[in-house]
Amino acid sequence: MDPDGLSKAFVEHYYSTFDTNRAGLANLYQDSSMLTFEGQKIQGSQNIVNKLTSLPFQQCKHSITTVDCQPSGPAGGMLVFVSGNLQLAGEQHALKFSQMFHLMPTPQGSFYVYNDIFRLNYA
Amino acid sequence: MYKLQEEMEEQVEMVGRAFVEHYYHLFDTDRSSLASLYHQSSMLTFEGQKLQGVDDICAKINQLPFDKCHHFISTIDTQPSSFAGGITVFVSGSLRLMCEEHPLRFSQMFHLIPTPQGSFYVQNDIFRLNYG
Repeated sequence: MDPDGLSKAFVEHYYSTFDTNRAGLANLYQDSSMLTFEGQKIQGSQNIVNKLTSLPFQQCKHSITTVDCQPSGPAGGMLVFVSGNLQLAGEQHALKFSQMFHLMPTPQGSFYVYNDIFRLNYA
Repeated sequence: MYKLQEEMEEQVEMVGRAFVEHYYHLFDTDRSSLASLYHQSSMLTFEGQKLQGVDDICAKINQLPFDKCHHFISTIDTQPSSFAGGITVFVSGSLRLMCEEHPLRFSQMFHLIPTPQGSFYVQNDIFRLNYG
């Protein structure tokens, strides 16, 4: 699959897991992974998933507006830049967000998230 | 062990911030000199348009349909990338064009790679306006 196809597939998988089985995101991070979530820095799959599963909402739905990707270097990494909307159940208006992933290949032929930075886009 | 990690994190953050300030200062005051920050291998995706190499990237940036502009930065997030000494930087802010009443909001990500001379160049650059 070409890089654009791979990054779109990853993004769809990431957000559908987030929206339906948030704890399942643990498979997409490793101990070396880093997340900066609205300025808060977290390291390691367990801590990252703890943060994401303890966010103050139950149901949510990510709708993706743009996905851009570029190869990051000779190690086969991919940078993915996403913008979209996050609808929380019970809220009238969706939140806008941008998120950047740096994906690294695994020996098994898939990818994991090495760098993850998430920011809401306020008006 | 933790102190060393904290120091390294601070270093990455300082470098990221310094780079971002330098980048947008050049953009706003002397756009053509951004050429010093890109290499032949650099990639820019600007509102979905893909460009490669310092020449094409600078041609694109220099041809943007406005003369004067000013970037106001709201947030800067940095993390070390897996590339030795590399840094990923995620920026959000607003872009004021001299002829426009309302500033445009944008997000931009940079992947910076160290040079042998001890500075950084932009290997990856992705820019998106934030509408709505």
